[in-house]
Amino acid sequence: MTEFLELTVDKFTFRFATDRYYHPEGVWALPEGEGRVRIGLSDFAQQSGGDVAFAEVKPVGTAVAFGDEVASIETMKTDIVVPAPVGGTVVEVNPALEMSPEAINEDPYGEGWLAVIAATDWEADRARLLDAQAYLERVREVAEEEMRKR
Amino acid sequence: MSPNRRVVIVPCSGIGKTFGTVSREAAYTVVEDLRPDTTELVALSLLVLGDEEARAAVAGHPTVTIDGCRLACATKMVQESGLPVARSFTVLDAFRKHRDLKPEGISSLNPEGQKLARVLAEEVAEAVEELGKSET
Repeated sequence: MTEFLELTVDKFTFRFATDRYYHPEGVWALPEGEGRVRIGLSDFAQQSGGDVAFAEVKPVGTAVAFGDEVASIETMKTDIVVPAPVGGTVVEVNPALEMSPEAINEDPYGEGWLAVIAATDWEADRARLLDAQAYLERVREVAEEEMRKR
Repeated sequence: MSPNRRVVIVPCSGIGKTFGTVSREAAYTVVEDLRPDTTELVALSLLVLGDEEARAAVAGHPTVTIDGCRLACATKMVQESGLPVARSFTVLDAFRKHRDLKPEGISSLNPEGQKLARVLAEEVAEAVEELGKSET
């Protein structure tokens, strides 16, 4: 069962699944073996973006390098360009997102996954990602800075 | 209260949110423009406060809620007040059907937001028509 860290800033509580790694821009990467890495938006990213209206993921077969756009998400508040947290080839896209993009808001670490990438060099890319605790600390800085601006 | 005003419209009360503004604009359009003789606007805050007149208005007539976002505060608050919701709409769903109409602005909507409010209002007006028929 996935375990979570939690961070509360003002009235907002953000969860961080501890079984995966995070791109600093709020994209998680979960290695599943045999070079497959499932990716999705972090709870902080989905809460910051607001209600998802449309989610478009690059189609199966698309090659992406680390940091390349792998998906675009249009929310009620903003447009989010989702960087690939791992380089490789898109081998699976969450089919549920076409009809139910709200899954990204409702279950960002589960049913709201975006894609599976067949990684070219997962170990090299993993070294560029953050673990849950490090990502939580980054979010703390960002969220507290946002609060100070208000 | 006019005896002809049979359907109650309760929009989102989200302040400082673009989609909340769209929901209220849509509600005003229904009540003041599209179905002025058969609808009545009730403030969500009055329902939450337990205002007797507002509760009576909702209790006696079909209620249509217009929510801004998936939190669905208007729908939930009406239901938590112990009152039924006949139909519920959300701005988010309307936007999903009309991607070119992305609303912006809060105190004043951009032209796309105004169009989205109008489109949503027309959907609500159709529901009002159906509910009016089913009530009689």
